[in-house]
Parts: sequence; C-alpha cells; structure tokens
Amino acid sequence: MTLVWKLLRRHLSLPQLAGFFLANLLGMLIVLLGIQFYFDVAPAFSGNDSFLKGDYIVVSKRIGVVSAMSGQNSAFSRADIDEIRAQGFCKSVGAFTASQYDVSASMGVEGMGYMSTELFFESVPDRYVDTNSKEWKFEEGDRVVPIILPRSYLAIYNFGFSQSRSLPKLSEGVVGMLELNVRLRGRNGKEGVMKGKIVGFTDRLNTILVPESFMDWSNAEYAPDAGVAPTRLIVEVNNPADDAIARFLQQKGYDTEADKLDAGKTTYFLRVVSGIVMGVGLLISLLSFYILMLSIYLLVQKNTTKMENLLLIGYSPWRVSLPYEVLAVGLNVLVLVISLGLVSLLRGYYLDTLALLFPQIEGAGMWPACALGIVLCLVVSVLNVCAIQAKVLSIWKHKG
Amino acid sequence: MDKIELKNTLPMVFALRDDIESDVWHKDVTFERGHVYLVEADSGTGKSSLCSYLVGYRDDYQGIICFDGQNIRNNRVKDWVEIRKRSLGYLFQELRLFPELTAYENVAIKNNLTGFKKRKQIEEWFGALGIGDKMHEKVGRMSFGQRQRVAMMRALAQPFDFLLADEPVSHLDDENGRVMGEIMMDEVRRQGAGVIVTSIGKRMMLDYEKIFRL
Repeated sequence: MTLVWKLLRRHLSLPQLAGFFLANLLGMLIVLLGIQFYFDVAPAFSGNDSFLKGDYIVVSKRIGVVSAMSGQNSAFSRADIDEIRAQGFCKSVGAFTASQYDVSASMGVEGMGYMSTELFFESVPDRYVDTNSKEWKFEEGDRVVPIILPRSYLAIYNFGFSQSRSLPKLSEGVVGMLELNVRLRGRNGKEGVMKGKIVGFTDRLNTILVPESFMDWSNAEYAPDAGVAPTRLIVEVNNPADDAIARFLQQKGYDTEADKLDAGKTTYFLRVVSGIVMGVGLLISLLSFYILMLSIYLLVQKNTTKMENLLLIGYSPWRVSLPYEVLAVGLNVLVLVISLGLVSLLRGYYLDTLALLFPQIEGAGMWPACALGIVLCLVVSVLNVCAIQAKVLSIWKHKG
Repeated sequence: MDKIELKNTLPMVFALRDDIESDVWHKDVTFERGHVYLVEADSGTGKSSLCSYLVGYRDDYQGIICFDGQNIRNNRVKDWVEIRKRSLGYLFQELRLFPELTAYENVAIKNNLTGFKKRKQIEEWFGALGIGDKMHEKVGRMSFGQRQRVAMMRALAQPFDFLLADEPVSHLDDENGRVMGEIMMDEVRRQGAGVIVTSIGKRMMLDYEKIFRL
C-alpha cells in the first residue's frame, strides 16, 4: 500500500486540496451552525410555552356593539366548523368546551385568610395540549384536577393585586405547590368538592384549561342536559404567516388574538432565515465537492499511465482506487470533525446570551448538527468513492 | 491454466487484408504448459497485439482465444486481476516500470501483491544480473538494458502457469541475455510453467520446442 501511495500521490496538488478543504469546511460550518442555531433558538419562541403543539390560532366570532345588543349568537355552528376545516391553511380544528356549571375556587393556608373566587373551566382536545402526560390527566374518581392558567393571571396578581394588599409575590414554582379547593355546583343541585393543582402556565391561551376527560365527566355529572355550541375554536394551521388566514378571518368576520400569531410568525421566519443560511452553506459545500472531484479527476488523469501499469501487473481496480478514496473520505471526515468542533465553540457564544434572555429553555444538545453532519459526510463520501471507482474502471477500459 | 488456444484469431486491423501468411493468425494454435515457444515476427505483424490480447489489455480481434477452453472474452474484471496475479507472468516490451520508484521498489510493488518471493531471493537476482549496486537507484536514471532486467525480475515475482516475454533481450548483450535466460528458465522449471517468447530480431537463446512465424 505504501508503495502504491508513493506512486499515486505524485501530482497531488496541495493548494487544490487546501482550497477544497477550506471551502468544504466553510460550507459545512454554515450548514451545521444554521441547523444548530435553529434547534437552539426555536424553543425560545415555540417551546417557551410548551403546552400547545405546532402552529395554531384561536378563532372566535367578533363581538361588536350591534351583535352584543341584538343578542346575536356568537357560537360556531357545525357548518361554520366544517367550512374552516375545508380551508387550505387548516390542518385540524378543535372546539373549546366550556363548563356548564358553576365553579368556585378557594385557596388558603390553615389559620390564615381565605380567598375565594368564581371561576369557569374550558378544555380543548388533548392532542392540542403538549404537556407531561403524567400530570395532565384525569380519570373518573380522581380527587385532583390539573389546571393550566394564563401567565397573565399571575402577572395581574403579582404586580397589581398583591402589591396593593401587601400580599407575598408568588413564583410559578410556588403556585405549582399550592392546592386549590374547587367547588363544583350543578344547575341540577348536585355539588362536589375537588382539589385543583396548577401544573403550568401558558402565554398562548386566555382561559383556564382543564383536561378534556375532566370536562366530559364533569359536564355529564353536573349539567347533563346542557349542550352548547363552542364559541371559540382552536385551529392548527400549516403556516400562521399565511395571508390566506387573515383574508378568510376578515371575510367571515372572525376574530383572532393577533399577537398570538407572533410566536408562530417568529418561528416561521426563523425557519426561513435558517433555511436560507443552510441553503447558502449547502451551495458552498456543493461547490467544494465539485472542487474535490475536479482535483481528483485531474490527479487520476495525470497518473493514468501509472494506474494502468498497476492494473496490468495485477492490482485490482479496487486497490488502485483505494488511496484516493481514503484521501477523499479522510478529508471529509476531518472537515466534519473540525466543523463540529467549531460549531460547539461558536455555539458557546450565543448560548450564554440565550440563557440570559430565555432562562426557561433547555439546550437541545449538539445532536442536530451531529446528525446532519454525519449524513452529509456519508452522502458526499459515497459519491466520492463511486466517482473514483468509475474513473479507475474507465482506465481499465482505456476510456480514461 | 494448462492451455492457451487461438482459434482463427486475427487482429481487427488486418481484417481487410486479402491474404494473411502467418503461423498464428487465422490458424488454430495451442500453447501448452511446460513447453517453450518462440514467436518470431517482423515489425507490424501484430506481435504486440497478440501479447495485449493474452494479458486482457485489448480485445480488438476476430476469432476466439481460450484459456483452458474458456473464451477469454467472457472474463470479468476480477477474472483478469486473478489471471495477472496468479497465472500469467508478463514481461512488457515497453517494460511499464515506475520511473519514480527505485529498482528494488519496482520489483517489490509486485511482490507485495503476490507475497511470492523473499527479499533475499530478489537481492540475489539483482546480484546475478549484474545490477546489485543499482538496487536503490531510481529506475528513471537507469539504461534500457538495466531496466529490462528489473522488469524481468518483476515478472518473475509471482506464481504463473505461462510466462509471456515480449522481446526480453532487445537491449542486452549476449552474456547478460544468457544470464537472464537462465534465471528465467530456473523459475519456469521450478513452477512447471510454459514460456512464450517473442522477438523481432535478436532472440533470447533458449531451447525452443516450437517456433512460430507471425
């Protein structure tokens, strides 16, 4: 092997290989950094409030002066829902179900003051709620109801209410440890008492959310006769920035909480920008791949006689192409390792800032960059090896 | 491999000729293992073509060439690799040495592939052929006669059933030609192989059992 390598490394152009190496390194670095950045940063926008999956909007009918005065129905009919479901931007539609009975919650530590308030509950189908399923479940007979509150409620309490009453401020963690006494009172006279446990907060839904299974059970238990059409719908969309959504809502006179689209939009633009950056990186990688192939072709061309002689004295095409394959694959692997190292280094810079801005997000780890890098490296290496083999075989057939 | 047969073989370039006078072309010829043959040729009669066909380098001929009854046109790449490595030793007329390697490395590059000879044996050959002091000289700096001897050693550094020597002594004096012939025949007899030698003018002095005029 060493003698063969000694022969075939002649005419090896270091500037060409260095050119390939740097270009490929740059391309690979941009691609890997792009995907890594996306996976690191995206949770800050979408994962911040991880109770709801994907991109969705909440739609209600607009309540105007006229409709409010005239008592016009603001509920969605079956036909309305089917119409939304038929739209191109819509992936799925779920209805908000409201509690049809009276709810009051009280909270207090023994021996201390007692706070009580009237409440309502709503639920959406469980598949829209992406939370730890261990906590987010209710079965008939359970005494504890998991609850998700809007984060703004906590802000109202902390910065408005507690301030004026000299009450202690509560962090999310502390609230999670409190137990509410929930009293349910049906129109049929039935009453029940349960414990409520706040399992999380959401920025994205303005409601007090309970599991669907609880809602079904409690409505059947305390309001068996009531059946009311939903007034709010949760719509999963392909792309919240799609202007077709805005047009449709406008045309139908529906309302959506516009700023709730922002997180979706931000993720969407993040995705677009990352996509563009990765596209540029891929393009550079592609060009560098081209440089390597040209460089190796040139090398093979210059060493054709030697390779032909090796073949004629009994070396197989496989053994003759091996040195160049090792060279190409070795370079690819080296580029991969170095670019992964650089990604991890560069990532250190923005991760600190990110951790300051969004303390609640957890790092995604290096797996996106590693996985994509390995796949890219494999694909490019396989293409290199195939091309080199084909080239050597063409020498065997005197077509080189 | 025990037998090389040519059945009505003719290089394509001769296909348009009106008559062919040859002991080989358009004839049925058999070379058998264990025998020594000379193919004498004038320039331009297809000597190099014949060698190229037998080693699988070219296939621009009509008719059939068989190794042990197998038409060599059906050989795949890996068949030829095996034949060149194990069955057919070939001393090229144009030598096909690697000028950037030393004389010894040129032999070793073949011997590394086959693992056939010990380094000591190769060194002895160098000594016997009178180029012991050139072992570590780059081949590019050697005379053609010296290179011919290196190429012969390389051809012998493998197991073979036939040895094909294309004008092996064209640039050697009689004495060196004789020594080379002896070393070659030693190895041939040891392996029980057949020999096909070609010549245009100066022939290697061996006990030929059959002489063909191309």
